[in-house]
Amino acid sequence: MLPITEGGLRPRNALDVRAKDDHLRRVLEGRDHLLFDGAMGTMLQRAGLEAGELPELLCITHPEQIEAVHRAYVAAGSEVVTTNTFGANALKLDGAATVDAVFEAAIRCAKRSGARYVAADIGPSGALLEPMGTYAFDDAYELFAEQARAAAAHGADLFIIETMTDLLEMKAALLACKEQTDLPIFATMTFEENGRTFLGTSPEVAALALSALGANVVGINCSLGPAQLAPLVRTMLAYAPCPVMLQANAGLPSMVDGRTVYSISPASYVGAVEPLIEAGVTVVGGCCGTDPDYIALERAALERHPVPERTVERHTALTSAQNAVVLHGSEVGVIGERINPTGKPKLKAALRAGNWQYAVGEALAQAEAGADLLDVNAGLPEIDEAAALVALVREIQGVCGLPLQIDSSDPVAVEAAVRSYAGKPLINSVNGKRDNLAAILPIVKHYGCAVVGLTLDEGGIPPTAEERVAIAEKIVNAAASHGIPREDVLIDCLVMSASTNQREVGEILKAVRLVKERLGCRTVLGVSNVSFGLPARPIVNATFLAAAFSAGLDLPILNPLAARYREVVDTWRVLCGQDEGSARYIEAYANYQTAPASAASSSKPNTAAAGAAASDDAASALAKLVIAGNKGDVPAVVEAMLDDTDALSVIDDHLIPALDEVGRRFEAGTFFLPQLMAASEAAKAGFDVIRERTPAAEAVRGPIAVATVKGDIHDIGKNIVKMLLENYGYAVIDLGRDVEPQAVLDCVRAHDVKIVGLSALMTSTVTGMKETIDLLHAHTPQVKIMVGGAVLNAEYAQMVGADFYAKDAAESAKFAAQVLG
Amino acid sequence: MSLEGPVRMGRPECAVDRAEALRYLGYAGQDVDAALEERIDGMFERCARTCEPAYVFRIFPARLGEKGVVLDGSGIVLVGADIARHLHGARFVAVMAATAGMTSERELRRLSATNGLDAMVYGAAASSIAEAASDACNAAIVAEARAAGLCTNWRYSPGYGDLPLDVQPAIVRALEATKRLGLAVTPTNLLVPAKSVTALVGLFDEKQDDKRSCAGCSFSPYCNLRKAGTPCYR
Repeated sequence: MLPITEGGLRPRNALDVRAKDDHLRRVLEGRDHLLFDGAMGTMLQRAGLEAGELPELLCITHPEQIEAVHRAYVAAGSEVVTTNTFGANALKLDGAATVDAVFEAAIRCAKRSGARYVAADIGPSGALLEPMGTYAFDDAYELFAEQARAAAAHGADLFIIETMTDLLEMKAALLACKEQTDLPIFATMTFEENGRTFLGTSPEVAALALSALGANVVGINCSLGPAQLAPLVRTMLAYAPCPVMLQANAGLPSMVDGRTVYSISPASYVGAVEPLIEAGVTVVGGCCGTDPDYIALERAALERHPVPERTVERHTALTSAQNAVVLHGSEVGVIGERINPTGKPKLKAALRAGNWQYAVGEALAQAEAGADLLDVNAGLPEIDEAAALVALVREIQGVCGLPLQIDSSDPVAVEAAVRSYAGKPLINSVNGKRDNLAAILPIVKHYGCAVVGLTLDEGGIPPTAEERVAIAEKIVNAAASHGIPREDVLIDCLVMSASTNQREVGEILKAVRLVKERLGCRTVLGVSNVSFGLPARPIVNATFLAAAFSAGLDLPILNPLAARYREVVDTWRVLCGQDEGSARYIEAYANYQTAPASAASSSKPNTAAAGAAASDDAASALAKLVIAGNKGDVPAVVEAMLDDTDALSVIDDHLIPALDEVGRRFEAGTFFLPQLMAASEAAKAGFDVIRERTPAAEAVRGPIAVATVKGDIHDIGKNIVKMLLENYGYAVIDLGRDVEPQAVLDCVRAHDVKIVGLSALMTSTVTGMKETIDLLHAHTPQVKIMVGGAVLNAEYAQMVGADFYAKDAAESAKFAAQVLG
Repeated sequence: MSLEGPVRMGRPECAVDRAEALRYLGYAGQDVDAALEERIDGMFERCARTCEPAYVFRIFPARLGEKGVVLDGSGIVLVGADIARHLHGARFVAVMAATAGMTSERELRRLSATNGLDAMVYGAAASSIAEAASDACNAAIVAEARAAGLCTNWRYSPGYGDLPLDVQPAIVRALEATKRLGLAVTPTNLLVPAKSVTALVGLFDEKQDDKRSCAGCSFSPYCNLRKAGTPCYR
């Protein structure tokens, strides 16, 4: 259930938490220091306790020793002790004890030590979240929610979520603590020497995204010593509006005389921490290798320094898990508009089929073309928009590092998408209607987003600049009443077509100027609306874009693949000073031609290719290009051939024979894998032209499902088979790798699959292959099964019950032809 | 004996082994035109630039238990006749994990979404980086063993012979490889990043016959690689 739109949860401000006493409240406000404790594991080892696989169980089996460690830290000056619950989640405990029992015991140990505050420790789940891993966001949330409830029930005073490397997992934990309890949340992530977490999050992104999500204190723990972490901590200090904390390691462990010692002494550790305290870090403690000696010195260091004044400049900032777009001064950014099904039949078809890869391709192409953010819209009446938006966001975030703009008019879809978004997204949009403000702003606040405010309300879109600014002001004020700062509200003054509302164009530009002057908000515009109904639209769009930049537009929403837009953006960045020294401009435009070939004309056949196509040599010309893997020239030649040859002949007389030849060469060993793939790519480029020109040319046969079996991830062979079969005109469903047998069966049933191709490379996947075949035989005896993989032969194939053994990709095509014709 | 103790880590400089990566792609001296060669080299270069190779290892005392070879204090029990043979007489076992890094995983996903050929070539190069990181780890293990007067044998990975992959979670846990390398294990016991290796190296008093062969492999009767004289190991 979605807490805001479906559960009626009222979002709260970060400081609306239950602080145990005034000192803790002052800590959360950044006005007092707070001292945590040091390592637990190091101390247990020293006490001779075999930690085993689940050190958390020691809270139940050896409570006195755990309490003794806490006591030692309290004696050294720790105000907070951290419960021994780092891995106490249902996944890691795996039935050895309940989460509730471990937290109860752990909190009892901590309380008995006499510490002023007990911090309930929450570490990573131990599973890798989708899309890099297989664990679902909602499942991770449930794990953390169980911990959060147990901690609150047994009397913890605050949460320390730590050693996180995945921003999305951190978000799941943070939301769990925030939604299940009213306790303060301290959130720290772990960074490597390259300045990022293992999953690529920078300290800047962590500071921006976690503080926006409502963490009371953000910071860094583990991995490195304080001196190495210092620059990362300083970055956090620059971006985090909330208090910043540090719990570094005491360096690297080594064995000296049978005892584990750490390379950084207490004195040099605190020597590196102290300048950071002076710079504004207010919460300190220690991680691996630190002990009460380190903490005692930190106590003294804190006492030497009052809390300094720290002002954090507030900027409009959006982030993914890896990258932040922070708008400084007159800088502008581009929001790519192409992932929106309106007017895009291919994207529509892909979304209807649940094929997210098409949108992923669009995302990567826009990123390549220089977009700074990507709009993502899944608004099709016949699909489950919320589910589609969540899937799109997940898949795009898996490969593309740009921050996203979540674009929907349905609050449920918006909440579902931003909930499992890794980072600080931009929501598109809210408007000035009372109901809409009430529905969207709580989502913006709860999930720490920024939002685009459209200047329309119950009265529609007003014609004048003044009226639009008035609506913008209403939105900004409503946002402020929800605790959303002004820099997180971006205003879209709504572009009208110059052909129908010519007078308003000037008013729009004026409105942009006034919004910036009077409200100090950043602005967004969907640029291309201006040219509806006019010829040569790119010229109108480009001229308007330049004018809008001049009026103060910060983030145009446009097609970044359009050259003319890019030119305006690139030149504006020179004129406004964003492109320092014009370096990027010069690099990109040094060889600029005044009449560049447009994308459309470059795909037309050049005269040489057309000439060749007209002759009988064309056949061999096309075949040669395919065999040589020369993808670039194939479309032009096929285009030319289609002028006087029917599509079927091009396929049957040219492309297929070329592929057959490639198959023969591969079989004979005169081609190796990349050559086979390059030829397949080239042939595909030809098929794409044919499909575009004559959609009915191909009788699609099949479908054939291909999968790398459960337990195996080697998919080179499967991918080649897929590409080749598609080229031969079969419809292929690619189930991916490490595929559960049941998923194969479900697919066979759902799509009436005729042939299943299973691939495996690892010797350990015997079972996966046999299991899948047995299941298919039991339930869908009609389906034919072919198998392949370097460590298999025909005998093995027979043994596991396959119908056919394909030695290579070419053989799989032969088998398909036997079965399907 | 000071072999046991904390996890050792390394971040070796690893280049793409061009010959090895090409071999993964099935290269055996075919004529390759300049355009394709340039594309392959471009991907190799991109791989070298983006991978972040790293390794960890830890040494545990070994003994034969009821269910298999027990590595004391690690929570690892190695089940199977083949691994028992491999570690027969070992006093210690070095447990290792090496990876080309999470950046390789992300880059591979990105390429897979846009171009199959590029993804395949990058993948081959990343495999060679993971192998090189494993070699560097292996060398560090050998050096420690030598210093202690012990001999090592070749590194043996889960999935070889009859050693099941379900030992992966215990290995990753014993090395704290999630925290140290960013390594995760899927419910089907596969490693993420995919370009990662876990392995076991035996430490012995006597010099070992340090050659790997297909003899212990359950697939040797069916394997085309073996038949072609190009086994899956070096």
